[in-house]
Amino acid sequence: MTTSRNYTDLFLPISAWLTGFDTTELQATGMTATYYATITTKNTASCIDDFFAQAELVLQEGGGDEDKTNSLIASQLFPTSCYNNLAQNIITMWYTGEWAPDVNAAPSLAEAHNISPNAYVQGLMWTAASTHPPGAKQPGYGSWADPPIGPPVDAPLTSISNAR
Amino acid sequence: MDHEYDVVLVGSGIAGAVIAKTLTQAGKRVLLLEAGLAAGMALSPEPSYANYQRYLETFYSKANKATNGPYPDLPDAQSPDVLQIEAKTPYDEGYLVQNGPLPFASDCLRSPGGTTLHWLGNVPRMLPNDFQMKTLYGQGVDWPISYDDLKPWYEMAEYEIGVSGDVAAQVGPDMDRSNYGDDYVFPMKEIPQSYQDQVWMKNTENLSVSLYGKDYNVTCVSMPQGRNSIPNPAYRKTGIFWNDETKRLELAGDEPGKYEVVGAIWDQNTGNRCEGNASCVPICPVQAKYNALKTLKKSDHSKLDIATQAVVSKLLVNDTTGKLDGIEYKVYANPASPIYTTKVAKGKIYVLAAGALENAKILLSSNAANSSDQVGRNLMDHLVMLMWGLFPEKVYPYRGPGCTTYLPTFRDGEFRKDFAAWISPLDNWGWSWPTFAPGSDVSNGLAAGKFGKALRDSLADTVTRQALLHFECEQAPDPNNRITVSPQYTDLLGNYRPVIQYDASDYMRKSFEAAKKVGDQIFAANGIEDFTDYNPSDADYVTWKNRGYTFWGAGHIVGTHRMGSSPADSVVKPTQQTWDHDNLYLVGCGNMPTLGTSNPTLTMTALTFMAAEAILKQLEA
Repeated sequence: MTTSRNYTDLFLPISAWLTGFDTTELQATGMTATYYATITTKNTASCIDDFFAQAELVLQEGGGDEDKTNSLIASQLFPTSCYNNLAQNIITMWYTGEWAPDVNAAPSLAEAHNISPNAYVQGLMWTAASTHPPGAKQPGYGSWADPPIGPPVDAPLTSISNAR
Repeated sequence: MDHEYDVVLVGSGIAGAVIAKTLTQAGKRVLLLEAGLAAGMALSPEPSYANYQRYLETFYSKANKATNGPYPDLPDAQSPDVLQIEAKTPYDEGYLVQNGPLPFASDCLRSPGGTTLHWLGNVPRMLPNDFQMKTLYGQGVDWPISYDDLKPWYEMAEYEIGVSGDVAAQVGPDMDRSNYGDDYVFPMKEIPQSYQDQVWMKNTENLSVSLYGKDYNVTCVSMPQGRNSIPNPAYRKTGIFWNDETKRLELAGDEPGKYEVVGAIWDQNTGNRCEGNASCVPICPVQAKYNALKTLKKSDHSKLDIATQAVVSKLLVNDTTGKLDGIEYKVYANPASPIYTTKVAKGKIYVLAAGALENAKILLSSNAANSSDQVGRNLMDHLVMLMWGLFPEKVYPYRGPGCTTYLPTFRDGEFRKDFAAWISPLDNWGWSWPTFAPGSDVSNGLAAGKFGKALRDSLADTVTRQALLHFECEQAPDPNNRITVSPQYTDLLGNYRPVIQYDASDYMRKSFEAAKKVGDQIFAANGIEDFTDYNPSDADYVTWKNRGYTFWGAGHIVGTHRMGSSPADSVVKPTQQTWDHDNLYLVGCGNMPTLGTSNPTLTMTALTFMAAEAILKQLEA
């Protein structure tokens, strides 16, 4: 069974609102195609159809207004009871590289895996915390002796507003 | 391999690698038996790089970043695994059979390179008083050798590992410049202390804390580490060699500025400096952190035969001569298959370097070296109590090596008569150890209804303020903390698995109370909001005076075949030759009579160089 259409045009903008990272930051991970494939593989087609139908409405009704859009997401998409917890699983996926239901269902911690090796490396929780994933993107000898240098973590979410 | 070697050696961790390198460079013929996979033994550029990248990919792929995660799990040569530690005893669900009352909380790695693949690399020396615990404090036993006896061997170990550090900074109870000597420097300069350390130090350096009516002055010291930094031009040593005339192992060279940094095994130009991967445990992607394969690679390979996938099952003891006639081992082709071929290796001298658990297991399996009834006893670890909280300001953890600064204040003192001493590393990796942060911060944020910018902001605000303080408490030797073997518990090849009996004595539990009292004062002085949570459902949750504490294992598995001055109460002589079989030596942390408050690898490596000299002397006699 397949979804009634391809939702990649909606996946990035709704991911941006869900994660707080703008679409450019999300695309820069190189994970967009992998993650879209993950959600469509791990959920029923009807769940995906319903979720994106609602997501499209939320984005339209929100009209790029931050408070309004967030309020709609909080009531229409975010609750764990909605769409098999898809919104929260999408957030966890971008932040950690894990498909949470698979990790939670693993027979042991040793057998719990990320979506892919690169999904771990591209996890956005490290960026949010002004650091890098341990074991990758190393910042160089002695860099830890100073506060991190990088783009300000509180950058305005301009491209989210402009996303649709 | 039907011919006789000078030495048959079991295990390729740091102890085995030091023996292999030292003996082959002295012209002795060595057979090394390693239980782990052949792929992990690759030392030439392309195969070793390919194999190590597989480790790294496995590390990336696993959701849990535990110590043994990147490395192959071999049914034919299982390793203990911290992920198998459970809050119940007895149980038998992993490699170790945990009979309790508490589960033993540490693991090690059976692989080419041994546990140095996942070690952190902290290498402080032990203190002189650590060698006299019975005489000075009435606890445990004295070592049969003194700190001064070990001092020249420490210098060899620091050369071999490639220690980065500042000798002048090593000041604390029972520790100052005299521990090292006036002109001594480490091969490389100190690893920079983290930004977080510098914030800690503002309110912790020279903080006065009160404990049981006595005041102590807390200080902060840079941690010597086995990872590459900038060569110290004042360092004068250039190598370790066997002097055939004096019959001594010598640390050679008296020429400043000649120290050569040892890079990755696949490329000397990789890993010349720590690059700040912040993943030392479980894997340094560039091998700037020392691992034993670097030492093994320096062996004279024309004198060294290596058999991998070769699991020792039994020592063949000749009851008439009291010597070993050989070592029986099982060779597997497929690590998940019960099919094996049994072989026997023969040498003039046999050396077990398989780690404290495996060495004891092999001896017990063979009824060898145990006239003292001490084999398997006095199993020790550092019992790690953690405290975690949030700094009032951002300190930016999850950067740099795991530890760049430690508090030496409670490493030694009269209190050791009453409760265990500890070293306190400041941890650079946030709450990752106790709470699996920052993944848990994401899930907690979601549970609190946060998403979008609010979630991102909350991570930016809290993860960056995470503080973690360790107390690595010195476990005293206890004959009832032990490993045994039983025909009831075997692995896929029919070899025994370790059966563990383990507890934390009152001496340890009181140290948790003491450490928490000290930690509370340090947190208060730094304005750190305490989020520490010890839960009765934790695997190693203990109580003392109606309060609960949780400890974790440090991965410092020590003391199962201790060294001593009498065959009545020890397994090996100070030379590390067994009292019972004069052609059998044991090397590794199992020889240590007590643990001190140092991460044990450096001390064990120093002891292993001592053993290497004794073995060479015996071969030449």
